[in-house]
Formats: sequence, structure tokens, C-alpha cells
Amino acid sequence: MRIFIARLILLFLPFAGFAQSAPDTGWVRQNFTKSEVFITMRDGIKLFTVIYTPRESGKYPILMQRSPYSSRPYGADQYRQRLGPNTQLMKAGYIFVYQDVRGRYKSEGSFREMTPFIANKKSNKDVDESSDTYDTIEWLLANTPNNGRVGQYGISFPGFYSTASLPAAHPALKAVSPQAPMSDEFIGDDCYHNGAFFLLDNFSFYSGFDGPKAANGESYTPFFRARYSDAYQYFLKMGPLKNVNNEAFFRDSNSIWRQTVKNDTYNEFWQSRNIRQHLSNIKPAVLLVGGWFDAEDLFGALKTYAAIEKLSPGNNSRLVMGPWTHGAWSAPSWTSFGTYQFGTNLNQYYQDEIETPFFNYYLKDQGSFQLSEATVYETGSNQWKQYSTWPPAGSTPTPYYLQPAGGLGTGKPAANGGFSSYISDPAKPVPYTAVTSGGRNNEYMVEDQRFAARRPDVLVFETDTLSSDLTLTGEIVANLLVSMTGTDADFIVKLIDVWPDPSSLPATQQGQRPTQMGGYQQMVRAEVFRGKFRNSFSKPEPFVPNKIEKVNFKLNEVAHTFKKGHRVMIQVQSSWFPLVDRNPNKFGTIANMDEKDFQKNTIKLYHDSRNSSYISLPVMNQ
Amino acid sequence: MRRSLFYLLFFLLPLVLVAQHEQDSAWIREHYTKKELYIPMRDGVKLFTAVYLPKDASEKHPILMNRTPYSCSPYGEDQFRAFWMNHWKYYLRENYIIVIQDVRGRWMSEGQFEDVRPFNKNKKGNTDIDEASDTYDAIDWLVNNLPNNNAHVGVFGISYPGFYSTMAAASGHPALKAVSPQAPVTDWFMGDDFHHNGAFFQMDGFSFYSGFGKPRPQPTKIGPKGFDFKVRDNYKFYLEAGTLQQLADYMGDSIKFWKELYAHPNYDEWWQARNARVAMYDVKPAMLVVGGLFDAEDCYGAWNLYKAIEKQSPATNNKIVMGPWYHGQWASRDGSRLGNVRFGRNTAFDYQNNIEIPFFNYYLKGKGDDPALPEATIFFTGENSWKQLPQWPPQNMTPTALYLQANGNLSWNAGGSSNAYREYISDPAHPVPYTEDVHFGRTREYMTDDQRFAHRRPDVLTYVTAPLDEDLTLAGPLTADLRVSISTTDADFVVKLIDVFPDNFSYPGDAPQAGRTAGGSYPMGGYEQLVRGEIMRGRFRQSFEKPVAFKPGKTETVKFELPDVAHTFRKGHRLMIQVQSSWFPLADRNPQQFVNIYTAKPEDFKLSTIRIFEASSIVLPVVK
Repeated sequence: MRIFIARLILLFLPFAGFAQSAPDTGWVRQNFTKSEVFITMRDGIKLFTVIYTPRESGKYPILMQRSPYSSRPYGADQYRQRLGPNTQLMKAGYIFVYQDVRGRYKSEGSFREMTPFIANKKSNKDVDESSDTYDTIEWLLANTPNNGRVGQYGISFPGFYSTASLPAAHPALKAVSPQAPMSDEFIGDDCYHNGAFFLLDNFSFYSGFDGPKAANGESYTPFFRARYSDAYQYFLKMGPLKNVNNEAFFRDSNSIWRQTVKNDTYNEFWQSRNIRQHLSNIKPAVLLVGGWFDAEDLFGALKTYAAIEKLSPGNNSRLVMGPWTHGAWSAPSWTSFGTYQFGTNLNQYYQDEIETPFFNYYLKDQGSFQLSEATVYETGSNQWKQYSTWPPAGSTPTPYYLQPAGGLGTGKPAANGGFSSYISDPAKPVPYTAVTSGGRNNEYMVEDQRFAARRPDVLVFETDTLSSDLTLTGEIVANLLVSMTGTDADFIVKLIDVWPDPSSLPATQQGQRPTQMGGYQQMVRAEVFRGKFRNSFSKPEPFVPNKIEKVNFKLNEVAHTFKKGHRVMIQVQSSWFPLVDRNPNKFGTIANMDEKDFQKNTIKLYHDSRNSSYISLPVMNQ
Repeated sequence: MRRSLFYLLFFLLPLVLVAQHEQDSAWIREHYTKKELYIPMRDGVKLFTAVYLPKDASEKHPILMNRTPYSCSPYGEDQFRAFWMNHWKYYLRENYIIVIQDVRGRWMSEGQFEDVRPFNKNKKGNTDIDEASDTYDAIDWLVNNLPNNNAHVGVFGISYPGFYSTMAAASGHPALKAVSPQAPVTDWFMGDDFHHNGAFFQMDGFSFYSGFGKPRPQPTKIGPKGFDFKVRDNYKFYLEAGTLQQLADYMGDSIKFWKELYAHPNYDEWWQARNARVAMYDVKPAMLVVGGLFDAEDCYGAWNLYKAIEKQSPATNNKIVMGPWYHGQWASRDGSRLGNVRFGRNTAFDYQNNIEIPFFNYYLKGKGDDPALPEATIFFTGENSWKQLPQWPPQNMTPTALYLQANGNLSWNAGGSSNAYREYISDPAHPVPYTEDVHFGRTREYMTDDQRFAHRRPDVLTYVTAPLDEDLTLAGPLTADLRVSISTTDADFVVKLIDVFPDNFSYPGDAPQAGRTAGGSYPMGGYEQLVRGEIMRGRFRQSFEKPVAFKPGKTETVKFELPDVAHTFRKGHRLMIQVQSSWFPLADRNPQQFVNIYTAKPEDFKLSTIRIFEASSIVLPVVK
């Protein structure tokens, strides 16, 4: 969601489409006129809106982005360097609109994080993003040389604003593409995953996003600028979460940070902000786009699609999932990530064959749009797959049981299989990455997990060498049977592809040596669950010490082939730092706890015939 | 006066050298011929010797010899060794006769090889031989048979050839004037290569002996093949091997020294005979002992050979040089960095041109002034400067104890409750790695690597000072003086001395790094640099010859020495100590039971809970 903007800029600088060697506003200036207007919403609040209209006369569809991150550059003669989701669309003849959402930058009104949708609006005072989009479209239709059709797109937070325009959409809104859209910040996007607080991301985002706004609305002063080169050390030294509120950090009790920390259960605050529940009777064509390696809103892409499928029968929505990090599909090129080599520029395929035809077809009746229901990149085999449903038919949830002595397999463990145990020590949390860094290591989602396997506080379970390819497509469900000496704990389950010994990948550049891959423990999918929410996200419950309890939770979907000769590995641990804040291992409101409340916890994971922990894997039938 | 002259030489010599001709391969062929000879030893065995003779006949030339078990290749009188690629070319420029000899029983020499053949101080007849007598016989033949030699011989060598240099110094031949044992293999049980304080350095041992140790029944030009490792991750390979018995199975039955090593788990007479220091009495030649502060193989040997000669042969002209080097780096082209740590100057260049070459020139050619090398020329890391010292350790060094407090602080004051402790669980199934990341071979850089990966583990105790308000210089050996109790009957103790860089540290010219980037520099803010680490196999705490079991739960003293350091902790840095009980796969895992580790079975490996009590200290060699 957040770090998106800085990364986007970095991705665009080596801009392939132009003859220029440096980014430049020349082409846009030459071909568009810019106007800046205030559009009045039904409750009188005015939203700052920037409109780029083609100089050549004609009737054009409108393609809009609504964002809390600024519609800059501000000023009638300050132009953007590029317009629209990609270069093809920029040149295809559209009116491009950028709007500061309510309460952000130059727009009036109050900003609310993930504005709740009001299903039964009674008066003009009942406003939300759906109504703001509606009112905006109304004004645009009357005031621009348009063909009567509007599309909307956005990545991350702007992805949420795209989703939010779908319920009670304006009839002129014909095509919407929410991309890595935020959907539910307690269950799976950005702020919390399954109730576990994403410390590193929240801290770095909110220190910048939410500070005081300048008088002219063109910038925000960050609360503070933290500079550190070792995030693990920085956050460990920071101590309990309450220390963040002190002088050095977030002083303002009204800040979004404080609000996010305070709402630490799935209460009315978060429930009202879950946009997914409102995705019924959706009329526009929808293209959901997401990345398998998106550290921020992977959940949102998948679950927004799933909600539309469930609540809007007869919908016209499709899903595209590629091997991308957050927003990477919008860059000029994407040919590799981590140790993956894709062999071609996937972004050229996505932009030219999917995104551009989608908008051209629904907004201009140009060409055709024959995309399958789900277009999904299958890592491991490194190929695109097309499915008529998502998850696809032909995928069978198959339990893989944890076995004693670190085994993993489809047979149930023996009666005397016992348990594996480890000590989770909040003073020495398991790092989420081996890399010492001041920011979030974006490659952590595909990183070699051997650094974790070597720790005494990480359990490792591994199959035998696979005798044939094993493809997993769909959702993963962890079913753990645990007991502990404390009264709460986090559980992180990681699905890992273990490469054979020896193996290597060819060098990508001349003169380089092949990459040694023997024994590489490549992470495929991982998720955290805050154990106290195991029975209810809104009513957490303590664990009874030493009592065996179930902890079941879903991990986001995968589409991955484990090749013959590889192994499937599961790792289980109880910290993932500083990605996730430390669980004190004591039931209670973590934001109120002191250092002394953080205690060691001996955790047992059971694998005998009666208490059989297993991970349900979505095995594709051959 | 002498000192300023020395500094002058530092600056002038590089200019002088640069002005000369480059000694490339063409120049060498033009100015030298090569002969391959068999030199007879006193017992009739002949040693294969490659001799590079200068064509120049205008004066007599000194002989510089290297005796090696690693081959004097290339073989063939028309095949020249690539001297132009290293600093030996400067000796050729000076028209030295270069002699490289296959030691007895290796490669093309006749006879039976014996690893670190024990020195025999009571040689009687012609059948009593050792490496010292072989050197004597070689030197004798050379000075009597090589044309145009000036009857001045020098011997030098790095690592195992360093051992042969030590033995050469014990030969007593009057023509031998100067010897430089460099990172010399000295004691393979106490601190070099294959054991440190009795803990078995399995990774070095296995990868070395699986090739080197193969029998060589007849002279040959063809070397042995090593082990075919399918697993390119050393942590995984040695963890899966599990026991030393399994490694022995992989090794097979043919490697004699490996079997002998297994048969001698304690510092018995067999090992004591193989301590090269027993040869260092009445040493006649000038000695220049050279070593690397960050040498993963023979740092112990360099320091302790020097000290042994000082003690046992006080009349000897004996000097030491120590630089910030990995094993052999002083002979390379770049001594300016190791891993992520930088030293600010090309210390290898400093050493070659200002120390080694003048040393041999003076003693073997009588050329130039006595370079008047100080007793100790030591590079102090941290402050990154050379120091010339009249003794080592320096006179103003005071051993000062730093106490490991139960709250994780370090204090110069004893006191506090001696019952307070910190504890950790040492789990043989998850040993502490010796370095982060995945590697196939043992890295050289581990000796200065960032220890934050270890700091984050629950099985490593970390103690640290506040940021220092002035520089703190350490010069000399460290002593770990631990009060411990363990829940089993044996355990290893690894103590690491670490320099913690300030959070905002970056090297001049580098932008502070926000994170590690491919091909970019490492984030140095908060870097925890290993300065010195050492392991002690707890069972040897009373005697290396007679190990003693621990009583579970009983408080005992584990006291051991760590090799000398020369390091300044700068103001603003912190001093850190880490304590752990594995260092894998550098050292084999202690099963944590008092059993013979060489025959231990997988089920013998047990968890142990280790307590470190507050009375524990590290005695540091503080210089005021």
C-alpha cells in the first residue's frame, strides 16, 4: 500500500517507451491540456480533481484514478510525465482524471482510513467513496468531451478506491480494475494479518502518511523521519508497542497509527471497513490484478475477487495473478524476481494483452476481450495458466500431516507420534529475513529459509524427494494442534520448495557463474495467525496452559509446481520480526503491556494419530 | 632516529620499485634457467627439487628455498612456475636462486611421507631422519653443487610450508642465515587447522584430508582427487553426516593420518611429539615469523611459534610481523580489506616491500643497511595503523578483567551476586552457524563477519558495554575465565570478542546503506565485527591430556586463552562479548556427553542447558 509510491517512481525512471533518456513531460504537454477543478460532492464538500483532455477534438472515454497519495503535480502548467495505467492506454485516446480523495491533499473534508460503505444512505450527509465517485462521474459526464463511459483503476490504496466505487456504481462506470486493492486491514491487508500487527510496515507508513498537512494542501510533514540501517535491532530496542507513543515517535493520540493500534480486535471499527461484504449487485466489468509476491495486499486482490464471485451472481469479473511484487505489473519490464527467471517480459504481455484490451473493449467497444475467468502465473513451471473458475476445478484439498522427526506426508502419523516443541523467546524473535536492512526486504517472500531452519525455535517438516511434479493451485489451510506454557502465541506457517542437491540455475549475465541452488529453501507462501483469535476474530480467548487446542487458519492462495526431485517443506515458528510485532505470549491487550509481560513460551506441536496437525494443500489432479 | 628512517623507507621504497622493469614471464625465461634434480638425503632417499638459476654470472647469488608437500610443480624443465603473478618476482629481479622442493614422500620425491613429522632431537645414525635433517642435507648439497651461489640460504613458506620452515630453522646448517615461517603449522591439537583447544575442526579436516591424505606409494606428478560433495551447503552436509564416525566412513579406510587423528582424542604423547615448538631450541638463523590476525588456519601457530622461540631460544634474532590478513594474504596483491571490513591501505604491499624483501636481502645478500626491524611490527585494526614495538605484548599492556553481568552488560568491576547467571539451551540439532548465509567451502571472511545473525539467536548470550567515551586499545592474548554450570557432562564454549560499530557508521566515500543490495556495499551501521573468537572443549578445562567430565548442575571454571589481538575500539564503538556452545560446521558438535566424540553415535547427542555466572570475565590485554 504504502511504500508503493516510492517504488513506483523507481520502476518508471528507466522508461522504455520513449526515445528520451530522462523522464520528461514533453509528450503529455504536446497531446493533452490540463485543468484543475474542484468538484462539489452532494454534501457540499469539494474534491480537487485534475483532468487531462486530449488536444485533438473528439469524444473520449474517461479513465480515472482516485488516490490519497496526491494528484500532483499541482499547478495549471505542471504536467505529469505519463498518464494512465500503461503507455498503450496513454496513447489510445482517453480523458485521464486524477482526484485527491476526500480529506487528502487539496480536497476538503475529513479523511477516514478505509471509509466504511453506507448501504442505506438516507440524506445527502451520508457520504462514502461510492457516493463521492458517483458525484464525480456525474460532474465529469457534464463537463468533459466524453463518450458517456467511465473507467477507474488504481494500485494499493487507489485499488481500494476502485473497489469502493463498485457498490451502487454510477451507470456510466463500465470498467473498473482494482489492483492489489486493500480490502480488510484486520484480516489480511497491510495493518494486521489474522490479528497479528504488521509493525514494520505500519511504523514506516504512518510516520509519513499522516502528519500535519501544509496550508496549501500540497504536502504533509511526516511525524518524524526514522533512519536506521538494521530494522531488527531498531524495533527490538524500541521494546513494547506502547513505547511508540512516546516523545520520539507518534505523539498525536488522534493519529491513524494510534487508531490502528487501539483497534486490536475485529470490532465494529474494522468490520464496517471491510468493503468485501458490500460487493453485491456489481454492474461494471471488473479486472482484479494482484501479485504472488505482494507483501502488502495479496489478500485484497484474491479476496476482493472471491467476494464479487460469492455476492454478485452473474458478475463480469476476472482475476489476473502474476509473479509480481506490489504494483510491479505497471513497470515497463518484469523478467525476474529473486531466483526466478521468467524468460520474457511478463509486463509486456500483461499490459498489451490484458489491461489495454480490457479498457479499450468496455470503454470504447474496440477489439475484443476474451480473457479467461482467471489468468494465473504458475511459478515453478513458470507458465501462465487459464482457468474458468478460481480456485480451479481439479484442485483437491489434500492433508499433509506433520510427522515425528521432521517428516511430512499424506499418511497419518502413528499413535505414539508425540509432539515437537520449541521455546519462543520474545527477547530473540525469529527474523523474517536474513538480510540486515533498514527497510522491508521485498524479496523476503521468496527468500531462502535456511537461515530460519538452523534456529532452535523453528520447526521443520519435509517430505521425501518428490518422484513427480506436484502442482498446488488454490488455498492452503493450516490445521495445528498445539499446547503451550503461556496464554497466547503467534503461529507462522511457511510453505517452502526445497531444491535438490546438487542443482543450479544458469547465469543471467555473461561472465557470471550459475547460481547454486542445491538445498535452497525457497519460500512459496507464508502467513501468521495470532493464536488468541482462533475461535473468533472479534472475541479473543486465552490459551489454557498445557491444554491441547486447535489453531486453524488459511494462507493466501498459491499456483506453484514443485518439480520432481524437489521436496515440500513446512516450517512453523512463533515470531516473524520485525515484520510482525512480538507476541508477549501472555493473553491481553498487547498495546498496554510492559517489557516484563513479554515472557518465554514453550510450545508443543502435536503429530500423533489422535492429535494430527496437518496442512491442507490444494493438489491439482494430473 | 631509526624509527624515522623506517618511516622514510615506507614512503620511498614503493617509488623505487615502481620505477623498475616488470618481471613478467618473458623476462624470467630470459634471465633464468630451470633444473630439476634429485638431492640425496643421508639415508639414501632422494628428494625431487626444482631449481631456478639466474643466468647472471657477474656475482654469486643467494639461495631462497621453499619446501612443500603441495608440489613444486609445474614439472618439466621447460615449465616455469608463474612467479610473475606474485611478489616472488622481486626476488627474481634480485637474481636469487629459487629452490622449491617436494618434501620426503610427497609428489615426485622418494620415501615415506609423515604428516607434521615429529622433530627428533636425538638423531644418531644416517637412518635417523626428520624434516630438519632433510633440510640440512638439501642445503648442504645445494651450496656445494649449485653454480655461483654465495653459500647464504634462506627458507620461507606459508602454512604447511611454514611448518617446514620451522623445521629448517632447527637444521643447524651454517649456511642457513634467515628463515621466515609464515602462518606456520605448529600444533594441530591446541590451535592450528584441525583442532582448537581439543575441539575438532571437522570442515577443514575433512575437506583437506579427503584429498591430501590419500596414499602416494610411488613418486607421481598427478595429484589426488578430493571428496565429491553433492551437497554444496556445508552446514547441511556436516549436520546430515551427524557423527565423526560417518565422516570416517566417507573418508574410507586408506587415509592414515585421519585414522591416527581419531585414535588420539586427547593431547597425549603422540600429539605432543607433533608440536613443532619442541624443535625450537638454540635456533641459529635470523627468524621472521609472519602471520595474519584474521587467519582462520594458523593464527595460533604464528603467535605461538614466535613466543616459543622467545622463551626457548632467547639468543635468537627473532621478530614477528602480524597484519590484518587472512591465511596468506600478505603474499597477495591486496591487503586493504577482508570481507566487509577495510583497513585503509594496501598492507600486503607494505609488508612485501618494507619488511620481507629487505629482511632476506640483508641476511642473504648482505645488501643495504640492516633494516633494523623492530621486535614486533603489528597492524592495529580499528585505528588501522602499523605500530613498531620493542616487545610483544607491549610493555604498557595490563591484563584487565571485564565481567559478564547477568543483565547483559559488561563491567570493569567485579561484584554483584556471583549466583546470578544467564542461561541458554544448546541444541545439537540446531547448532549455531559460524557465519550467516549458505556456503560450500569454509569462508575466509568469517573472521571479520557481522555477528548480528548470532546475536538474534536464543542460544547465544550477548554482553555489551555502553558506547566508549575514548579509544580502547588491546594488544596481546585474551583469557576467557568463565564460571559455568551445565545440565549434562560435557559442552563446548565459544567466546567471541566483537567490535560494535555506531549505528550511523559508514566508510568514508560510501553513502550510508539502507540495506544490503546486490553488488552494493554492506550496511555497516551497527555492524558487529568479529575481532577474535575461540572455542574450548569443556572436558579439557583441567588438562588437555586428561579430560574430566562435568557434574551436571555443578558450578565449574572453564578458563582458556584466545589468540592475541591488536585492535583499537574507537570512541563511540561498543565492546561486545558473545558466548555460545557450538560453531558449526567449523567445529564438530559436542554431543554434550562425556563420551569419546570420535566414536559417538547419533543417540549420544543431547541438549544441554548452559549457565554463565556473573563472576565470569574475559581478561583483556588493555594498553594504556
